[in-house]
Amino acid sequence: MNTDDLIVQLTRDVPPVRRHMLGWRIAAGILLGLLVSGACVVLALGIRPDIAIAMYGFPFWMKWGYTASLAMAALIMTVQLARPDSGRLRWLWLMAIPVLLLAGLGIAELVRTPPGEWLAMWLGQSWKVCPWLVLALAAPIFVGLLWSFRRLAPTRLRAAGAAAGLAAGAFAATVYCIHCPEVSAIFVLTWYSLGILLAAAAGALLGPRLLRW
Amino acid sequence: MRADEDELRGLMISGLDGNAGDHAALLRLLVPILRGYYRRRASGGDDDIEDLVQETLIAVHTRRVTYDRNRAFTGWLFAIARYKMIDNFRRTRRLQPIDGLEDELVADGFEDASSARIDVDDLLGTLPHKQARMIRATRIEGLSIAEAAAADGLGESDVKISVHRGLKALMTRIEGGGR
Repeated sequence: MNTDDLIVQLTRDVPPVRRHMLGWRIAAGILLGLLVSGACVVLALGIRPDIAIAMYGFPFWMKWGYTASLAMAALIMTVQLARPDSGRLRWLWLMAIPVLLLAGLGIAELVRTPPGEWLAMWLGQSWKVCPWLVLALAAPIFVGLLWSFRRLAPTRLRAAGAAAGLAAGAFAATVYCIHCPEVSAIFVLTWYSLGILLAAAAGALLGPRLLRW
Repeated sequence: MRADEDELRGLMISGLDGNAGDHAALLRLLVPILRGYYRRRASGGDDDIEDLVQETLIAVHTRRVTYDRNRAFTGWLFAIARYKMIDNFRRTRRLQPIDGLEDELVADGFEDASSARIDVDDLLGTLPHKQARMIRATRIEGLSIAEAAAADGLGESDVKISVHRGLKALMTRIEGGGR
């Protein structure tokens, strides 16, 4: 086609773009995925029976605080990497804050517990399934993000895929909290983080293939 | 005559606000810029160049959500143009596969290329930040002086002087042998 004709055709429809459209589009993708993941938790895994009591306890909010703040940091990176001129990732260090805080809580917890109980505390009831469930719950959110990216322009596909995977994993872990009854900080630090990292690795692997445009 | 950053950016923002006329004017202004960009970098006939130009125009239009109004327009544009060119290289190369050979070639050249890059990074690291950046933009990434100036919001002569001084400093450093 002639380039002039192409321009005429393209500009037949020029909808206005609001200022924070990019962030909204990514948020919408995540929200769509969250609906699916949330439904999976409620229908397939079940909400933890003691949730009403647990919500008054510290561990519940510790877990949510950890996963939700990781999710926010990953979201910032995803938004940044969705632009072609993404530049340097200035906010990467933010991710370290929740990890270090939780590690501090974990150490305090270990000090208070007799060494004989450390292993049981670390492995909890569900260490074998926790990372895999987080990874599985991340899948719908990642798919939602793929939808968001259809109108976005990442140029570092592997990094963008990893950030999207990380965000999907962290949001999935946040949803998983309403099912998971574990209370220990070192459990969360290890097995939740492992699930989130698996999701990020999957994103890095798939990014170059699925995010091309 | 070439349009400058301010004009392009103004048209882009007006287009984002929904002004179809300005958006069309922007795309028309981009055509010669992109043709020049690809002619200098991509091999291939006029048809191939025009394909790249059109693909980039489509991307600029369909992915305009990703433009940040507070940042340079040309930086955004050339990031897209560059991505489209690299993507095009990858695709055309994939059309003529030679089993196994490609991996060998890549692995063979890899060490030389990466150690050369480390050397370059080391050397550029010894220069003031601006000089290093301008040398990188014009001599390694292959932007023209005008593009580098626009992308960084500097004057063209400023860019030229930075590159010149930086190269001169590197020259004396290499000839002197040590650091």
